Amino acid sequence: MFDKLDPRSPTPLYAQIANRLRVAIAAGELRPGAALPSVRHLAAELRVNPATVVQAYHDLESEGFLEMRQGAGTFVREVAPESRARERARQASALVRQMLSEAGRLGVSLHELQAAIADEIGVGTA
Amino acid sequence: MTNIIEIRQLHYRAGRTFEIKQLDLNVPPGAIYGFLGPNGSGKTTTIRLALGLLRPLTGRITVLGDAIRDHAPRVLARVGYVPEQPHLDPVLTVRETLAFQAAFYPTWDRPWAERLVRQFDLDERQPFGRLSKGEKGKVMMLLALAQRPDLLVLDEPTDGLDPVVRRDVLSALLDYVSQRQATVFISSHLVHELERFCDWIGVMDNGRLVTEVPMERFKNGIKRLRVAGAPPTAAGAPFMLLAREHANGGAETWVVRDWEPGMAAYFETIGAALNDVIDLDLEEGFVELLRTFRSPRG
Amino acid sequence: MFRVILYSQWKWSRLIVALGSVAGFALPIVSLQGAASGDRSALAAGELLQAVQSWGVLYPVLAAGLGLLVAITTWAPDHRGRHVHALSLPVPRWRYVALRFGAGTALLAAPIVAVVAGALLATWSATIPPGLQGYPVALAVRFALAVLVAYAVFFAVSAGTARTAGIILGILGSIILVQILAGVANLELDLFGRLQVVVLDWPGPLAIFTGRWMLIDV
Repeated sequence: MFDKLDPRSPTPLYAQIANRLRVAIAAGELRPGAALPSVRHLAAELRVNPATVVQAYHDLESEGFLEMRQGAGTFVREVAPESRARERARQASALVRQMLSEAGRLGVSLHELQAAIADEIGVGTA
Repeated sequence: MTNIIEIRQLHYRAGRTFEIKQLDLNVPPGAIYGFLGPNGSGKTTTIRLALGLLRPLTGRITVLGDAIRDHAPRVLARVGYVPEQPHLDPVLTVRETLAFQAAFYPTWDRPWAERLVRQFDLDERQPFGRLSKGEKGKVMMLLALAQRPDLLVLDEPTDGLDPVVRRDVLSALLDYVSQRQATVFISSHLVHELERFCDWIGVMDNGRLVTEVPMERFKNGIKRLRVAGAPPTAAGAPFMLLAREHANGGAETWVVRDWEPGMAAYFETIGAALNDVIDLDLEEGFVELLRTFRSPRG
Repeated sequence: MFRVILYSQWKWSRLIVALGSVAGFALPIVSLQGAASGDRSALAAGELLQAVQSWGVLYPVLAAGLGLLVAITTWAPDHRGRHVHALSLPVPRWRYVALRFGAGTALLAAPIVAVVAGALLATWSATIPPGLQGYPVALAVRFALAVLVAYAVFFAVSAGTARTAGIILGILGSIILVQILAGVANLELDLFGRLQVVVLDWPGPLAIFTGRWMLIDV
């Protein structure tokens, strides 16, 4: 789940970690009630600053994905379907933004992009 | 809170060419401080001076609240040190080396030391001198950690080690740091490694500390800008201009420091266009910083 | 702390200590060369004294050799690591040096005890001609002091940096060079003789090395 964490990316590491976890929870990979690795364990495994893990967990806790229970650990919360849908929408927007920015850089016009999308999706449902 | 390492106006000379002048350095408590710099910049010398292995000409060095010059043994009892070269008795086995070290540190954690031996997959009966480079590196880190120090001073601890060993060593280090509010001062060439976990960064070049800032500020603050139509001299910039290069077609690449998003407005005032703001990773930022530090431009 | 330092030094010098102990035990016995036979005339007594005296030369050599080698092995691991380990340990420098010195002294007890044992055995099992006496204890004590003096001197030299040791060797080298040049230029110069007079005959600890080492004497 956490391979290819990229410290060189402009996205801070805590955000990258939080994103992965958010996606996993929203997709149901991490079930409600599942225990997440301890800060200590994850920091050691990913070789990141423990403060980075703490920040990722705190962000997810404030968004309602996790629950940090004193002394017991960190657990996944039951996530409402609306939250899941919201998360998927968010991921979709991020994908589109990325694609548009890359297209701009390469000089691909919006029209060309739409044609390519239709093409690819067409292939998929063939 | 007082700094864990505090160096003030350090002055040291070795031979006729190497000199450290007016060095000020601060390591805040609980920080993981990455110490970067090219070969020969004085990183190892600074570390040795900080721990009392060398004597400065002038300057004050305080570690863990005590002046290192007067109270070295008291300070060193709480410092785990990994030097850049293996320094241990080559004749003693790993087990004997651990026993030797344990005798000097009352805080030695024997059960944990033994767990680390297994975790690092070390053969306890091998003499230190016969271990591979990676195994020596593991033993040195093991010794520094099992002592349960308040401060870890690591001089290129993963230098020359293969990636698997580097992971093992750094995992153990971060595991310890997560358990305790220990401070880490680590120097390395492997900038990407440091980028993962350091929250402070100090850059050394030619005996001087070029910059000392929180990691995020350093990474976020150095940018490459694509600029068009700027006049030859750009005065009154809110950022620090490190370098300016002409690309083809009247476009330029500017490397700047202390950048903030709102500064884009500046370019309108000088009649130029800011076409792109490119993030630099730590290594690129470090290289740019040194390049311009050595040949300053207006 | 002393225990681990003693152990590490033993590991480095055990061969030297073992060989030195064997030599120290054998030397008094060999020097009496089968003086067990009872029928000795006055002439044989003279021969015996000659043998004892010539073998006796080996005592200061053994003492100096042991002192030198144990001192070298005491500091060998520190020199290898450029003293980084010792300087990073949480003990004051003087205390570390004292621990090292004490450990070396403890190790040197073995060859000293060997000499004591050998001397006692030799004089007890030998039939000493009338008019002569055995001085096993005096000899052993003198040996012990010589070993410790040699050890102390070489320890002090080794404790310094490689540069200090180099300077000392450099001085010795220059004295040798000057002596050679003086010889070539036919000058009356006896530096080493002068040095020997100053260093050895001066009533100081090094005087212990000079003179005759007699297990048996009048």
